[in-house]
Amino acid sequence: MSASASALTAERSRIEVAVSNMANAESTRGVNGQPYRRRDVVLASNPVESFDDAMGRTGAVGVKVADIVEDKAPFARRYDPAHPDADAEGFVAMPNVDVPEQMVDMLSATRAYQANLTAIGLIKDLISRAMELGK
Amino acid sequence: MNDIITDRSIMSALGRQLTVAVAKQSVAASNLANLDTPNYRTRDVSFDEALNQVLPGGEKLAVTQRGHLTGQPNVPSGQLEDADGLPTRRDGNNVQLDRELLHMTRAAGDFTAAQTALSAKFRLVRYAINESK
Repeated sequence: MSASASALTAERSRIEVAVSNMANAESTRGVNGQPYRRRDVVLASNPVESFDDAMGRTGAVGVKVADIVEDKAPFARRYDPAHPDADAEGFVAMPNVDVPEQMVDMLSATRAYQANLTAIGLIKDLISRAMELGK
Repeated sequence: MNDIITDRSIMSALGRQLTVAVAKQSVAASNLANLDTPNYRTRDVSFDEALNQVLPGGEKLAVTQRGHLTGQPNVPSGQLEDADGLPTRRDGNNVQLDRELLHMTRAAGDFTAAQTALSAKFRLVRYAINESK
């Protein structure tokens, strides 16, 4: 069950990063004065320590957020001389956020979240049935 | 002589079914947890049916291949292997959502069936104990 729970946390952070990217899709002034840089979540498998491992049997594999990396590509430039942040040539550096792409990421993370929630429900059901064995 | 269906062998078989169901469910849940992990390969667990011989004395079976049986006797040990024939997506991940959910649901069904039968057996035993008082 902790494998599925780890997936809930990881997918939720994916959703949060996607939402943050979308909210800042037009932010030309980020934290350090530079335009906002798109952030991506890197997921990695994470074996769960369990009794089964000690017994030499199959252990569950969860997932963890290995890293949240900032996109290192050069900023996209948009021609907009009227913009307060336009440079001498009239170009504004914009964040490299593609809103439809972030929406798709968010949807995929939501779907995975729901699947793992179902898994937890099933496991919980099995455990409560196992308790009934003794009744 | 091997055809005698003893009470004990029925209980052992049901117990084995419980263990198998839990293992399959656990592997399916692991696959689901890694639905979005790059380069993760789907895993399946398989149990060797031929090794499922319950001996009345509960002795350990002779191991013909190292790594097949571990731990206690009569506890089935599954082989973890990579599932093949699954399409891989762009991030190297080949976990199929519906396949894993289906496996999990089926394993839960198997577990419930075995648990119901085992409960009934236990109830009979308890009835027998109580009635003799």
